[in-house]
Amino acid sequence: MAEAAPVNPDIELVTRTQSGDARAFDELVVKYTPRLYGLVYNMTSNHEDANDLLQEVFAKAFRSISGFRGKSSFYTWIHSIAVNMTINFLKKRGRRFQMSLDDVDLNIQNDKEFIELTATSSPVREADLGELQQRLNEAMLKLSPEHRAVVTMFDIQGMPHAEISKVLGVSEGTVRSRLFYAHRQLQAYLEEFRKK
Amino acid sequence: MQDDHDDISKLLRLKRFEQPPPEYFESFLQEFKDRQRAQLLREPVWRIAWDRMCAFFGEQLPVRIGYGLASTAVLAAAGIASFNILESRPVEVAATPEPLPAAQTASLNLDSQVQLPDLPSLAHTASFSTPRYVMDTRPVLYEPPSSF
Repeated sequence: MAEAAPVNPDIELVTRTQSGDARAFDELVVKYTPRLYGLVYNMTSNHEDANDLLQEVFAKAFRSISGFRGKSSFYTWIHSIAVNMTINFLKKRGRRFQMSLDDVDLNIQNDKEFIELTATSSPVREADLGELQQRLNEAMLKLSPEHRAVVTMFDIQGMPHAEISKVLGVSEGTVRSRLFYAHRQLQAYLEEFRKK
Repeated sequence: MQDDHDDISKLLRLKRFEQPPPEYFESFLQEFKDRQRAQLLREPVWRIAWDRMCAFFGEQLPVRIGYGLASTAVLAAAGIASFNILESRPVEVAATPEPLPAAQTASLNLDSQVQLPDLPSLAHTASFSTPRYVMDTRPVLYEPPSSF
């Protein structure tokens, strides 16, 4: 006797939300907040903006969830909403921005990957952590919103090209091309820092 | 070149640790609910209804409504123009039979031998009053067919 395929917990929560169970949507909010915060924060480089945007993203998702037909996964769907709303926000905001790094938790020092990186890479080893973060954020903010989205999803969040292409609604080739171009730009911006 | 890109990727990976304190995520849901409630109280009813309609019919609803309204306007304009053209055409009034003399109508009864109007001519008149349509490329004839 064949075993029944495991039900995607997201789909179950979405179905419950669509039938009026608001608590099911709360579970989705709790589940996706950290990941979407990372996405929106790394695109805006501002905690307050990221918080406001994230609230709006979930509000929009809640309003639109009755129209969610499951053609894509909920993960892709909510990421698309977040990326599109953030890109629109960044285009409206233009150059009027302020970085707010004070609120973020610098638990990076205890991370194994960071320790390894700073032990092997001399430019980073000698750099002040705050300066490193600031430089990275400045470099990111010089990218266009579309390029920033690709870099955030691929380099920071570790999403595969195929998933990014679904979220953005572009081909994988476009994703790779944007990534290459963004890396080249970032490299130029960080060159001075890396030579220190 | 590839090494440079790898270095950039390594540096960017560090950004994933830029996270707010855990309390932020714990209070996020409550803040979301509070904002939702506040928004419901602030927003006018029509706005809420519009949002729900957009959510139900999809994101393209405003565009579709725009197209629908534009199409309706074009059809209405075409209809009005057609009506005006038809109205401005000269209408040929069919010849009405002469009224019977008063003396003759007064003495009208079943036995009287009143001369009735010519029936073929009445049929001809009736054919004028009913609308005729062009069904093919031949011109419409307003004369009755000469032979059957």
